[in-house]
Amino acid sequence: MEQTIIKHIEEELASEEIDGGLEATDDLLGGGILDSLGMMKLITFIEETFNIEVAPEDMVIENFMTVENICEYISSKG
Amino acid sequence: MIYNLVQIVENSAKEFPEKVAFRFLNESITFEDLNIKSSQLAACLLSRDVKKGDRVGILMHRCLETCIAIYGILKSGAAYVPIDPFLPSERVKFLINDCGIKHVVTTNKQSKKIKKVVSEEENLETIIGLSETQNIETISWEEVFVKPLQEYKPVNILADDLSYILYTSGSTGTPKGIMHTHASGLAFAKLVVDLYAFKHTDIVANSAPLHFDVSILGYCSAPLAGATTVIVSDAHLKFPVSLADLVEKEKVTIWYSVPLLLIELLHKGGIQNKDYTCMRWVLFAGEVFATKQLRALMELWPHAEYSNIYGPTELNQCTYYNLKVPPITDEPIPIGTTWENTEYMILDENDNSVNDGDEGLLVVRSATMMKGYWNNMALTEASLYKHKIAPGFEHVYYRTGDLVKLNENNELLFLGRKDNQIKLRGFRIEIGEVENTLLKFDGVTEAAVIVANFQEEKELIATVLIDEKLEILESDLKTHCKNNLPVYAVPKDILIFESFPRTSSGKINRKEIEKIIKAL
Repeated sequence: MEQTIIKHIEEELASEEIDGGLEATDDLLGGGILDSLGMMKLITFIEETFNIEVAPEDMVIENFMTVENICEYISSKG
Repeated sequence: MIYNLVQIVENSAKEFPEKVAFRFLNESITFEDLNIKSSQLAACLLSRDVKKGDRVGILMHRCLETCIAIYGILKSGAAYVPIDPFLPSERVKFLINDCGIKHVVTTNKQSKKIKKVVSEEENLETIIGLSETQNIETISWEEVFVKPLQEYKPVNILADDLSYILYTSGSTGTPKGIMHTHASGLAFAKLVVDLYAFKHTDIVANSAPLHFDVSILGYCSAPLAGATTVIVSDAHLKFPVSLADLVEKEKVTIWYSVPLLLIELLHKGGIQNKDYTCMRWVLFAGEVFATKQLRALMELWPHAEYSNIYGPTELNQCTYYNLKVPPITDEPIPIGTTWENTEYMILDENDNSVNDGDEGLLVVRSATMMKGYWNNMALTEASLYKHKIAPGFEHVYYRTGDLVKLNENNELLFLGRKDNQIKLRGFRIEIGEVENTLLKFDGVTEAAVIVANFQEEKELIATVLIDEKLEILESDLKTHCKNNLPVYAVPKDILIFESFPRTSSGKINRKEIEKIIKAL
């Protein structure tokens, strides 16, 4: 799960090539990796790939700060 | 008397030493602390031989250190130049070279970006705000904050000295730097405080990045009044529910942003069930706020007053239209009237004033006007309209390039652009710049970029013709755009066409392309 998300961010969504690759604990939101549009695309990707629905009230910083947070969130839905 | 931006912090530090000047997440800084820390940064820059008129870069996301960086650089006598961390490295390098930046103030979060820029950019001398050392001199914030101030001598800063340079896209494919002085920046800060009656008890939310002129309100007007500015984190801007919580928790009294953020709060933030009774002014600028959406927001927050603010970065701000009750019809709301110390004319193509009520191009003369474009006298000249009063004396107006007319109440209505500049999600984009970027890709023979409306959203779509002998993928072009354009100017889709629809004179028929794209 972690690798799928990392790969998708690195290859499709990052505003620029990420030097040294993305880590699961990297701050996606404050570190300039994803812009608002990128984040919306990531949520769509997660919904489609892991077959879950991200409810509007779940779209909060705590669930999407890092790839690790995202994985925890997806697991909690499963 | 206050005549430069530095005095804003010096004065508030005397009057409200213990008050919180800026807050970011769980961190905050008082006016007294801000005054000391910005002096320490200034001392640090002065010891690196920074002189009046020099340009110092700020490469930061929204964070608490932004306010120290701004006032520290200003105190050193230099002008600050915000560098958007989302810019591709190519663009960062252009900016550093164009502006002759030798010193950059940053934070540890930007270390990857800094590393890349430092390795490719020979002119940089010092990086301030990084803990890990780079190939060039690096000074951490910890080192800055222990700098003794006994020998620090404040620089004598005049109103006419340069204060900041904001880069925006230029139609030729290279960005242009808009130069403001302490006078023009302070004129803006003062007019805002006066117009919206800022008080020291206000809590002002700043959601704008430093390179966006909207940020001047949070960074200069609020501290001028002794108010607290809440710097909204990048993360909050991506999650309307979190943002809505923050605005409620901080008890924000003055909000200023592009309409898009307010629309997101309205539709996705769940603001219906929260308490925003503290909000007294909702200010918006940057693009047209659809009247329907504005009305919906005004009905939810009936206690607040609203102001539609207009003004290109070259003028900071110049007109406003205030509303207390929701507009009745769905007609676009006016951009209103010019504020104090400002006048305008509406001109036809031959620079003659049009009759009242007729369409024309808006030119504005104001205390908030820029000094000119950095390192580009020809462009500065072309952007000005000089109205001769007497030999050797003229009034200088800025040509906004915006089409306007007066309505029956003598209020200005915004009708559109004269040229190919567009606004997308509040960002100013020159269509020509995106097309020129695509044309720089080897094998692209023609390019037409259009704005397509998908339901409520506007998107940038590029169409190109290519040399068929070369194997060019749409994804290659997308990568090329990502590497050379700010992220908001990267087209959503790039489509390779076999041919373009043309007008009878052989020009690319953009209206037809729009239809083709809609049909896809």
